[in-house]
Amino acid sequence: MQDFEYLMPTNLDQAIGLLKKYENKAALIAGGTDVMVKIGKTRKAPDVLISLRRLSALRYIKKNGGYHIGALTTHRMLEQSTLVQSELSALHDAASQVGSVQIRNVGTLGGNICNAAPSADTAGPLLVLDATAVLEGPLGRRRVPLKEFFTGTYRTVRKPDEVLVEMEIPEDLGRYGSAYWKHTRRKAMELPLIGIAVALKLSQDNSQILDSRIALTVAAPTPIRAYPAEDFLKGKVIADDVLKEAGRIASSADCCTIRTSLRCEAWYREEIVRVFVPRMAKLAAERVKNR
Amino acid sequence: MKKVSVCFTLNGDSVTAEVPVTWSLLKTLREYFELTGAKEGCGVGECGCCTVIVDGDAVNSCLYPIPEIEGRSVVTVEGIAGKEGTLHPLQKAFLENNAVQCGFCTSGMIMSAKALLDKNPDPAEEDIRTSLSGNFCRCTGYVQIIEAVRRVAKGNT
Amino acid sequence: MSDYLYVGKDIPRTIEADKVCGRAIYINDLKRPGMLHGKILYSRYAHARIKRIDTSKAKKLQGVRAVLTGYDLPDVRVGFIKDQTVLKKDVVRQFRDEVAAVAAISLEIAEEALHLIDVDYEELPAVFDPREAMKEGAPLVHEVDARGKPVRSNILPLPWKFQAGDPEKGRRESAYVVKDDVRTTWVNQGCMGTSGCIAEFDMNKNLTLYSQTNVPFLGKQRIQEYLSRLGLGKSNVRVLNPVVGGSFGTKLDTDIYEFIAIQLALQTGKPVKILFTREEEFFALPPRQPALFNIEQGCDREGNLTFREVKAILDNGAYTSWGATTPSVMMMPISSLYRVPNVRFDATCVYTNNIYAQAMRGYGNPQATFAVETSMDRLAEEAGIDPAELRLINCNRPGEETPMRLKITTCPLEACIKTVREKIRWGEKRGKRNGRGVGMASLIHVAGGARVYKSDGHGIIVKVDQNGRVDVLESGTDQGQGSPTVISQMVAEALGFKPDDVSITLGDTSLCLWDAGTHASRHTFMAGNAAIQACRSIKRQILEMAVEFIPQIVTYAIKKKKQKDPNFREPDLDWKLVASPEAMDIKDRYIFPQKAPDHPYFRTEVSEILTRGLHVGTGQSRVVIAEAFYDPPTEMLDREMKGNYSMTYAFGTTAVEVEVDKETGEIKIVQVFAAHDVGRAMNPTLVKGQIYGAAYTGAGYGLTEEIQVRNGRVMNANFRDYKMLTAKDVIPVEPIIIEVPDESGPFGAKGIGEPGLVPTAPAIANAVYDAVGVRISDLPITPEKILSALRKKDVC
Repeated sequence: MQDFEYLMPTNLDQAIGLLKKYENKAALIAGGTDVMVKIGKTRKAPDVLISLRRLSALRYIKKNGGYHIGALTTHRMLEQSTLVQSELSALHDAASQVGSVQIRNVGTLGGNICNAAPSADTAGPLLVLDATAVLEGPLGRRRVPLKEFFTGTYRTVRKPDEVLVEMEIPEDLGRYGSAYWKHTRRKAMELPLIGIAVALKLSQDNSQILDSRIALTVAAPTPIRAYPAEDFLKGKVIADDVLKEAGRIASSADCCTIRTSLRCEAWYREEIVRVFVPRMAKLAAERVKNR
Repeated sequence: MKKVSVCFTLNGDSVTAEVPVTWSLLKTLREYFELTGAKEGCGVGECGCCTVIVDGDAVNSCLYPIPEIEGRSVVTVEGIAGKEGTLHPLQKAFLENNAVQCGFCTSGMIMSAKALLDKNPDPAEEDIRTSLSGNFCRCTGYVQIIEAVRRVAKGNT
Repeated sequence: MSDYLYVGKDIPRTIEADKVCGRAIYINDLKRPGMLHGKILYSRYAHARIKRIDTSKAKKLQGVRAVLTGYDLPDVRVGFIKDQTVLKKDVVRQFRDEVAAVAAISLEIAEEALHLIDVDYEELPAVFDPREAMKEGAPLVHEVDARGKPVRSNILPLPWKFQAGDPEKGRRESAYVVKDDVRTTWVNQGCMGTSGCIAEFDMNKNLTLYSQTNVPFLGKQRIQEYLSRLGLGKSNVRVLNPVVGGSFGTKLDTDIYEFIAIQLALQTGKPVKILFTREEEFFALPPRQPALFNIEQGCDREGNLTFREVKAILDNGAYTSWGATTPSVMMMPISSLYRVPNVRFDATCVYTNNIYAQAMRGYGNPQATFAVETSMDRLAEEAGIDPAELRLINCNRPGEETPMRLKITTCPLEACIKTVREKIRWGEKRGKRNGRGVGMASLIHVAGGARVYKSDGHGIIVKVDQNGRVDVLESGTDQGQGSPTVISQMVAEALGFKPDDVSITLGDTSLCLWDAGTHASRHTFMAGNAAIQACRSIKRQILEMAVEFIPQIVTYAIKKKKQKDPNFREPDLDWKLVASPEAMDIKDRYIFPQKAPDHPYFRTEVSEILTRGLHVGTGQSRVVIAEAFYDPPTEMLDREMKGNYSMTYAFGTTAVEVEVDKETGEIKIVQVFAAHDVGRAMNPTLVKGQIYGAAYTGAGYGLTEEIQVRNGRVMNANFRDYKMLTAKDVIPVEPIIIEVPDESGPFGAKGIGEPGLVPTAPAIANAVYDAVGVRISDLPITPEKILSALRKKDVC
């Protein structure tokens, strides 16, 4: 029968100390919305659960020389932040659609990222916002661009004795707009069938795409960037046929390895990428204009 | 089986419980405190029947590890009526508006609505829907539930 | 307008205040001293031979009190056609086959013990498609029938064959004919409260079963029969309901887990509780019966229906529950929705190694109405007639008898169609093909009982105590529909008391009289009619006492007044006003002369009479009690599958406007108007609640819900992947109550529990066609299906 020890460090040093002490016997838990379900389903638990919930110092959304979001920030905090809504719109789109209010009240950004599900809602937006993960372990801090963070389904570069501390998003989003589409069968309590995040940087007159980033979830074993589609858009004048072509590229095998699952067939997922890359690009562009 | 002892506030009273560390808040409420208002409809945070309020926020008590409750304040559906038995406005509105049918989702539904109204006494309809979207109901089609919450919201302003 | 005081009024559900305070006790909350927890081990294969079961490790686990397998139990068969045993031995035929059961002192230990049971299987060839299963040479799901005779086919010996008129002649006389294949799938009833029961024997082997059943008396009968086959023929059985967390059909059959709990309780001598997890609720509970239809119908040049012919194949799954009887209800819309003179219906139930199915809200009606009403739209298009117009041309009328011999009493179907047509602005919105569209569908459903069993009766006992409090022992059950409130209104009205004088005990076979069950939208109709009868007798008893005591009370009052005031002039009273029970009536707790309701002396509060009349002190004390049993004069279906099985039928029409995203195939429901014939609404707010809830479940049936079964295994046994709609998806329904009081109904009421669900999915399908020109005849109507159909259409 499952049994475990439940430890609740109150600061980062304690947490890292405990991780070091218990090594592979321990697992981290933040909001618990993934971990508790997994323990219940598999009837297996690590010997020790190290809870990060009391690390209240890691719950923050700040803007100073870039955006800093503490790993323990809940989805609900992101949803209710006007800063996130107006400047990191895609992340706001995503956070406000995770599960339900109850889940968002406890589920954390760090948990969502470190759980590394191919369907992680916040991963796509953070990828297009060019976020960097800040990890801290016994050897100190290191920074890993999010695009290099996911190594496989439910796998990341985080070492067993490291804690994700925050996500950093570079400054200068002045001419950027972003949007995220979570394709689902109903409006709440959902995982995305496919997720599409787009960030665009537009010229002063809003006509030209200076920079573009596109990320997809459930389109590969990990959340991914659709580089060929991004490259296609860069420098182009924003227009329907241009965006349509970006959608085509993003949905092609050049960008993703979409598969059929019980939840949805591959052809339909591809279709949604094709349709929603342009729609999200337009929404992102709209948001640049409205800032 | 390892046990944990927790002290917290439950419906306004200071309480302690010594229960297996693996227990959820839901199991502790139901088994230890015999407060069976919060229900287990799925056990994995997908139905909302177990919703209670912890430090002002609606949470799925089935996913809430009991050690985490130390020092926090929990409100359950049993704790919102007046001591003399006067119903909370939401409880009253639910009865008046047929927002209760089989009643299994009701405790959770009321707690989700209460968490919303405590923070936002005059929510837009969309806020109400969002706040209740983690609580499934099979009987009502939600319409009369949303109406009941809106009535209370209006009553507050 | 009626002058009723309580029926027809929006009386709040205060009687159920415990439900909003977390104090209502559901099976989940119920504990008995010394209670053990039971868990069930299910099959790992869809079809396999059990080679060996080793329970020794499980039995040794501390805290385990019993481990049972099919080899420990006598071979007693259960179920609708007795085609299964409680625990399966030798062969498993579906993934949900119950192979072993454990009782332990805690749920955790019981779960742990399941993991310690070793079962060796030898996989057998299985069959999952009913059409394949019908073919010669298909793997046989059952090799012998209930009597042990070998069988050669998977087709069940349940011939559902119906014919009225001459379909061939009808076809020949048709100017237009359409033919379609229609498919409906498995959907889960989705009760928020999971299934469970507690079985408890006393020392004399009398059984108390705390059960969520909505057929306590039929359930009791099944259990009694089961116990007698175990050699416990002398055991008494009491079935009683805790508060029930939804049913929607799931509680119509006595489920296998209930028999398992009984066996574990017998084995251990302790109360045993079995409570399903949500996962079990999805894979181990029979869902709605799926069906494949081939429907053909025609009309003449004027649009008059000429014939309708439907062939259905029902995937029965591995065993037989109520799903196999859904054709008896499918026949109702197929034969009787709109006037169609020539009808043939032929349904075949086929065993497969899939999960088996049973009842769900609407029974077979939503499946068949989906076929009939989508076909009606096709026919309208073929004939070049507006679909609403085609329905009006063929509209059912009051007083007619349908080909199935249903006797239509009141029938405002025409008003329903016209009302929703106007509300949705049909003329202006239809036929645009611009991504927005409207569609409609109607229904007929039993609304005055349903004689599916020899006794369709319903008993009630009403008692009034010396304080004028009323106790009703009501044989039906409440699974959330609000029966306690509605019955309290009807009893108060019939008795002349107030609703909050009335307390209601439901679902207890020891206290209450026979009832055929709270299904088929029959509770209000049945309980109301029985209550009116019983209350008539109660009223008479009280008024008889009033005849005796009013003169005493009044004489004494006058005497007192005289003593106080010597100048008081004795009034000249007309004692005839209170000389007989017939001369008086009761309303709002006051007894009064019919000819002088506000009489200053004779108007008397009931408890004044009751306190004097009941407890007399001279050996003359009495009680006020009445029982009534209402069994409507209806018919069982005869050999030709005809008969008027309900006292009255409800009609309704739903109109839907949708918006379809042509790029993604996504459907948005813009608005829904649901007009329903309810006879007279006993409580309009509660009636609307039934319509809202049913329409919402109907929308799920139409759009998102489907149990995904792959090679016999349920793949989406959770709320995340089984797509019930959330509060954010709320369907914008406007219920429209059409009132034409029905003579046979209590205060004119008809049943309204199921109708709202029935026409929703076909109305959506018809609206989708209007919006984008593709017809999806395969539920649910998913964006994928729409998008593929749109592409095919573009290619053509």
